[in-house]
Amino acid sequence: MNAVLVYFLRDMRRWTRSHFNVYSTLIMPAAWLIFVGLALPTRFTDNYLDFIVPGILVLTMLTAGMQGGSSLIFDKILGFLNKFLALPSPREAILFGKILFITVRGLLQATVIMVLAVLLGATLFEPGMVLFSYLVLGLFGVLLSAFSTAIALYVQDHDSYAAVNAVISMPLFFTSSALMPYDVMPAWLRAIAQVNPVSLAIDLIRSFSAPPFAWSSLVVLVVLCMAMVTFSSYLFRRTTI
Amino acid sequence: MATIETTGLTKQYDGLTAVDGLDLEVDREIFGLLGPNGSGKTTTVLMLTTLLRPTHGSARVCGHDVVERSARVRERISFVPQDMAVDIKLTGRENVRFYAELYGIRGSDRVDEVLGVMDLADRADDLVRTYSGGMRRRLELAQALVHEPEVLFLDEPTIGLDVAGRQAIWTHIQDLRRRGMTIFVTTHYMDEADRACDRVGIIARGRLVAVDTPRALRHRLGGERVSVVTDRPVEPVLAEGLHLVDGEGDRLVYHVDDAAEVVPVLLAGIATQGARVRGLEVQAPTLDDVFLALAGRQDDGGAFDFQRFRTMLRRRG
Repeated sequence: MNAVLVYFLRDMRRWTRSHFNVYSTLIMPAAWLIFVGLALPTRFTDNYLDFIVPGILVLTMLTAGMQGGSSLIFDKILGFLNKFLALPSPREAILFGKILFITVRGLLQATVIMVLAVLLGATLFEPGMVLFSYLVLGLFGVLLSAFSTAIALYVQDHDSYAAVNAVISMPLFFTSSALMPYDVMPAWLRAIAQVNPVSLAIDLIRSFSAPPFAWSSLVVLVVLCMAMVTFSSYLFRRTTI
Repeated sequence: MATIETTGLTKQYDGLTAVDGLDLEVDREIFGLLGPNGSGKTTTVLMLTTLLRPTHGSARVCGHDVVERSARVRERISFVPQDMAVDIKLTGRENVRFYAELYGIRGSDRVDEVLGVMDLADRADDLVRTYSGGMRRRLELAQALVHEPEVLFLDEPTIGLDVAGRQAIWTHIQDLRRRGMTIFVTTHYMDEADRACDRVGIIARGRLVAVDTPRALRHRLGGERVSVVTDRPVEPVLAEGLHLVDGEGDRLVYHVDDAAEVVPVLLAGIATQGARVRGLEVQAPTLDDVFLALAGRQDDGGAFDFQRFRTMLRRRG
């Protein structure tokens, strides 16, 4: 069996055996969906839930992706990484297995959020939209997990990792187009939101149901994704020998 | 060609020399690398297992250079670091199968076999969470053996285990050695190294200060002192290898080169005089004495690793 898949299955097995982990990561996006999506009095749209769902899906991937690096940190601290590196299978498989695991885990969580959104009355999910959302979320997941594993390779302990994660995650979400459209934002926020990669993914999903379709954003996302994976594997090779 | 050969193997970190010009040959034996904390044991193992690039010098394992052909080396070795890294949320069998898959081994025969060899067959389907420290270490050995390596590197294999657990690990290691495997082990438990290793190397401040059999090293410090107390006064027993130090009434004290060889002669000599032995004491120089004489007392050079300390305490508790 391919080594990437072997590492991926190890992480999946470990994750699914810990029920607390499986559910706890869903609480925050679900809370956003219910308490903000349903309750916030907004004037720019009559279906705020449909507006906010792409943002919450991307938030789910953002949280899952940024937390994902801690799985590599623990492998490093607890000595698993050294054991894996002494195996003859290609060393990059360790990194790619992690990126795959973090992304797939995020997509599974996003699926739960999609179902919840439909149950709450979201109307935007026709089959094409679902498939396209998965594509964008998958790319965004790979981008983030490559980024968070790179941080994990760089820092020495879990506390530093958690600190870096906290400094990056929430600001990225709040300065994106997740909660409101650009035209109701204050000018300073709009400036930030327009270059925020989180907005990039959100706008891309929204553009599917509200043409024109943002081809250029898709290209940018793919390029960012490839660049980050390249950077992360470079760092992996450099820090492991 | 020896299984492990190093020539002037050196590792420097920011000007600090962790391993300094190591020349060593190890072949089909249990070789113990002994040294105080921070003496360069683990650094040496990391270089030999291709996890760390040497600054100078070279090392060949199974005929392959550890830098130039590191992937080849990794195909023929196994490495068990001291951290005890097994997945506690998986079963013992899953832990071993995971390694088998990474080594590209198909089928479950080999997995069952190594679990059996390590006496884990009846607990193979339990979660590792329920395993004792000794079982976890044996599980790591099972993982390491699944691809039938030629060389096994073990970093502090008995750290944090109870007496029975330690003994089991060494018994397994000696079995592997009988099957022709080369075992390179680091430890700072001198008594264990003395009993189990064919040869030991003592490393201090990155330099190898002695390599020999544990017995020869102990003898370097010079002999043993044998005292015997009898139930009635006896004539001193004189024989080759028995150097009388003190003989007075019912108490005889000798200096000997090898107590195991001459004590039977001494006891026989006392028995022929019709006396009975009430007490016998042999004070041998231990490997501890040798170690302190050769390596001195070295302060831990590295930064104190709190995480590792905590892990160790938890395992002891």
